[in-house]
Amino acid sequence: MRGYISVLVLAGLLLAGFLAATGSRYHMDIFIMTCLYGTLAVSWNLMAGLTGLMSLGHSLFVGIGAYSVAYGYTAFGWPPLVTWPIAVGLSVFAAALIGALLFRSGLRGYFFSIATLAFSEVAFFVVSASRALGRSDGIILPGSRDAAWHLQFFEKWPYGLIIAGILLLTLLGGQMMMQSRVGYFWRALRDNEDAAAALGVDARAMKMLCFTISAGIAGLCGAFFATYVAFVDPRSVLGIDLSIQMLVFSIIGGMGLLWGPLVGAAILVPFSIFLRGITAIQGSDIILYALLLIVLALVLPQGVAGWVTARWRARSTAGGR
Amino acid sequence: MAALLEIEALGKSFGGLRALHDISFSVAEGEIFAIIGPNGAGKTTLFNCVAGTYRPTAGRVMFGGRRIDGLAPHRICQAGLVRTFQIVKPFLGMTVAENVRVAAYARESTGRGADRVAREMLDRLSLGDWADRDAAELNVAHLRRLEIARALATRPRMLLLDEMLAGLTPAETTAMCDEIRRLPEQGIAVIVVEHSVPVVSALAARAVAISFGEKLAEGTTAEVIADAAVQDAYLGRAET
Repeated sequence: MRGYISVLVLAGLLLAGFLAATGSRYHMDIFIMTCLYGTLAVSWNLMAGLTGLMSLGHSLFVGIGAYSVAYGYTAFGWPPLVTWPIAVGLSVFAAALIGALLFRSGLRGYFFSIATLAFSEVAFFVVSASRALGRSDGIILPGSRDAAWHLQFFEKWPYGLIIAGILLLTLLGGQMMMQSRVGYFWRALRDNEDAAAALGVDARAMKMLCFTISAGIAGLCGAFFATYVAFVDPRSVLGIDLSIQMLVFSIIGGMGLLWGPLVGAAILVPFSIFLRGITAIQGSDIILYALLLIVLALVLPQGVAGWVTARWRARSTAGGR
Repeated sequence: MAALLEIEALGKSFGGLRALHDISFSVAEGEIFAIIGPNGAGKTTLFNCVAGTYRPTAGRVMFGGRRIDGLAPHRICQAGLVRTFQIVKPFLGMTVAENVRVAAYARESTGRGADRVAREMLDRLSLGDWADRDAAELNVAHLRRLEIARALATRPRMLLLDEMLAGLTPAETTAMCDEIRRLPEQGIAVIVVEHSVPVVSALAARAVAISFGEKLAEGTTAEVIADAAVQDAYLGRAET
């Protein structure tokens, strides 16, 4: 029950953020990017923080999603109604293939991380060399006369609504999973795979389920990215930078909680955009950003969300008895 | 009584090292059975072969008339044979109740059902007061209880206990032994692996002794302990 209350509170905060941002395109862009990276980080942490599968190549699925939309639109003129489901389907399919390879061979821990990194790097170089996918220049999605049908809006707020909806569904679905049998099995696998298996948990099937769901969400985020930004290139949707960002947001926000990574994104995404705007010397924003990361990691090792819930729990037990 | 678990000519080699060779014995339904042997005899390896952690290199394991050797650990658990670990393996990121709920989900698909089973097992092992604490807060004796509560929550027909009593105080040992002795009346057969001869004599009616991966003796616990080969293995051969 408490989990759903957290989701409800977050939904309220999202709505408030959305309303506050409607006044300016700049603010709406920050809101959209926060929701996008928040959703991605939550999907990554579903694997890493809640199931113990530390992927370093999650950008692969963002890339598959983004390129499905970009290629489907520029090559065949397909609208999002067609390309978004394809994006999710291909991401899930790719995760199922990779998962079948990695989980069958029993790769765990760091070995799993390195293997996922390898897959995403291979995809990065393959796409960067493919003429059909625009090589490293990427693909521009030109405007269409049938704009609304292709989810092309002049205003930014419709995109804000779409990505906030995706984020909310991710949180709600994730919360339902975590309170069900599957969620218990995932956390058991994270804490001790041998003990979980001895207690009847089918480790391979449960990891596969987590991997494919997480990849599907990442693919959907990639699809949204392509439609919103109207431009995809290997660096922005396939690179290791993107995978690392999901990791950083999750660590700073708190990996033990479903919505922890969202808190990380909500702090760091606006902060980094804000820094880029106010710093005069080139590169100094990155130094300040890195400093904030170091300070947060030192002061709040449980992540911001972990710290908040610990305080909340301490207060409720102290006040309740 | 009918044999629940039958181990036939079981062998396990790691490369050239023969850890187990030609081990056979059977355990009846509702029985407490002991596996004894000195350090390094292969007791835990035997457990691992039965519970699916290792795949035996020879022989068969039959459980309830079904061949289970080579099955994955989770399948063996679902078949009704569950093991505990000598080095306890709690889920440290969860509360005590959540730990047991994971196991209860092996048979219960609804949250309410799993919750009921978990609560029942926690009460049975006197962990009820600890239910909402983090598993990381428990001491060794409590962690052992948690290990058993989890195993029982999977509703097994047979429980394998690997050195559950080592390192406990006498009072804790007595309490744990009482707990184990109550299991057969609930239709759960038990195999214990223990070092301590007094504990084994008090618990198990029948036993098998192994040393250097070979079976030395099988029979009633008293017979096995009195066996000359077993005495040699434990104490060394007397000079003549």
